[in-house]
Amino acid sequence: MKDVNKKTGLARAKDIYDHRNKRARELKAEGKKIVGYFCCFPPVEIMTALDFLPIRLLGDMDEPITVADGYLPTVMCIFYRSTFDLGMKGRFNFIDGFIGSHACDAAERTSYIWSNYIKTPCNFFLDLPHVDKGEAVNYFKVQLNYLKETLEGLAGKKLGIEPLKEAISLHNKQRKLVRELYYLRKPDPPLINGSEVLQVIISIMMIPVEEGNELLQEVIDEVKTRRDIPDKKIGRLLIWGSLIDNIKFTDLIESSGLNIIVEDTATGTRPFWHDIEETEDPLVGVARHYLQEVKCPRTFAETDTSYREDLENRYSYLKDFAKYWKINGVFGNIIRNCDIHGYEVPAVKDYLESLGLPVLIIEQDYSTASLEPLRTRFQAFSETIG
Amino acid sequence: MFYAGLDIGSTITKVVIKNERKICTTVIKPTGAEHRRLANEIMEEALSKLNLSTANISYIVATGYGRINVPFADKQVTEITCHMRGINWLFPNVKTIIDIGGQDSKGIKVDNGKLVNFVMNDKCAAGTGRFLEVISDVLGVKLEDIGEISLQSTQPTNISSICTVFAEQETLLQLSKGTSVEDILAGIHKANASRIYSMVKKIKVEKDVAITGGGAKNIGLCRALEERIGFPVIVPPEPLITGALGAALIASEETKKIGEKELTEKQLNRRWEAVTFFDEKPTK
Repeated sequence: MKDVNKKTGLARAKDIYDHRNKRARELKAEGKKIVGYFCCFPPVEIMTALDFLPIRLLGDMDEPITVADGYLPTVMCIFYRSTFDLGMKGRFNFIDGFIGSHACDAAERTSYIWSNYIKTPCNFFLDLPHVDKGEAVNYFKVQLNYLKETLEGLAGKKLGIEPLKEAISLHNKQRKLVRELYYLRKPDPPLINGSEVLQVIISIMMIPVEEGNELLQEVIDEVKTRRDIPDKKIGRLLIWGSLIDNIKFTDLIESSGLNIIVEDTATGTRPFWHDIEETEDPLVGVARHYLQEVKCPRTFAETDTSYREDLENRYSYLKDFAKYWKINGVFGNIIRNCDIHGYEVPAVKDYLESLGLPVLIIEQDYSTASLEPLRTRFQAFSETIG
Repeated sequence: MFYAGLDIGSTITKVVIKNERKICTTVIKPTGAEHRRLANEIMEEALSKLNLSTANISYIVATGYGRINVPFADKQVTEITCHMRGINWLFPNVKTIIDIGGQDSKGIKVDNGKLVNFVMNDKCAAGTGRFLEVISDVLGVKLEDIGEISLQSTQPTNISSICTVFAEQETLLQLSKGTSVEDILAGIHKANASRIYSMVKKIKVEKDVAITGGGAKNIGLCRALEERIGFPVIVPPEPLITGALGAALIASEETKKIGEKELTEKQLNRRWEAVTFFDEKPTK
């Protein structure tokens, strides 16, 4: 019988978002092993197939960075600085495995420092090429094999083809459900606001895939029939760039005359927009997906000859997003010192402005303490739109 | 019909009351630490200058950093849009506005009366009024005199520091070396102008250029900026009120968008009190 006090849908997502590590700790007490990973490139399918709970390691915009200063250089991505700071303070002391990745320089270097100073029982660094063709995919498949072997050691069993295929199917289902959720933002006003979507996305990165799928279906059903939808606002915003993982930020944006409609970020569409191809050797599909289909500028897509053709090749998906969701403004979110997105700014701004879209670029300090001054910028930006 | 614009800046609060044709009165007062108490006091002062009561004002727009603490405002608009509207009314050919405030500075681009781009510096004192305040303190000169004094210089000192605190150190060093106050001030104005120009360059400086805010009252700073920009700039007769003026203009526009019934309802329901969050006692 269903527990009447158990929260469902959006209320449950908020609960999980507010207590991010609660489910992992519960499952650990029941004997499950937990694996924490950096960014959206370590394949969660491999982790799920070996019966681990994969949890995405994130920072905390509410927590002042105090310990990391003794280990990391000052001029580096504040997000990984914060994540490492939390690790040093024991926030993730329940994880059995740590998978760092070469998502970017900050993630790479922090991965090694993590292994040295935060005593997770099992550490692995996943090397990920920065290019996406031919030999790079083969190289990446070899790295995935090393990852598989390390995780098999931690799990105490071999990874079977069937469990892996099953895991891929479940995670693909999750991707499909996320896309279904996003389609509910097409109307004007959208049926669900940016903060609510963020809570759902963060939640599914902290619980087993089956529970995540159940949550997504609950939310979709709830939102389709809800009456208290967001207000109509002047701005229909696309967020591009560094990730946002705190609703205080999305709340601020959405109280400044803007509705967040779609996020091209690592806590938005990027992990969910394409399904893994079910190949005969499942790892082939996995390797191809993460290297070629996760749209992050950290992966350098082969460019064509002219500047305009190059822009089109790299960013045309943004044109499709803007058209589909009827976007009228773009917020380029740059966490201070994020090289991956910082260096893209001139090109992506140029491309988006050529489509007639106004672009607001903000370099921010990944801290809720320094959010309020941004309010004027967002409000003024909404005043340029309408 | 009367319309009011209220610009609560970090340093100075400004009110403009206008009718259909012209500005009727303005009030300029220091904001102090308690702007949420003072907003209605400053409004009342403006109203009494015209022998009006609160019921005579059709619409009130609040702007500036303190705009969220005005319970009797009918709408809040950012100071970026308001400065743009104010200058656009006074000088329709202006395309670039440089607003130099007490604690921030902004660049604003206008095209056909619409806000098209903006850039802000509210993190660093260099490039704001605060920079000049600190230096004038150190030199023992009144803030309102430093502009004129700087123009007397024949050999501006080169101030190499970007940071206000280090520029203060450099100023002391120069004084001890016997450098004249006017030369130091000229160098300081150049440094401040340089910071402002670097910021505004990001949105492309196009003619005509206007300067607003307290910084515009400093002739030394205006000249230093003109030198960097390469052509003369426009300074409005009272540069402090352009934000409040823009707010008042938006107020008059808003009344045309809503019906008379809604307008009267708004006027009746206005809360003419200071914002209090809890049982506070005034600090004075």
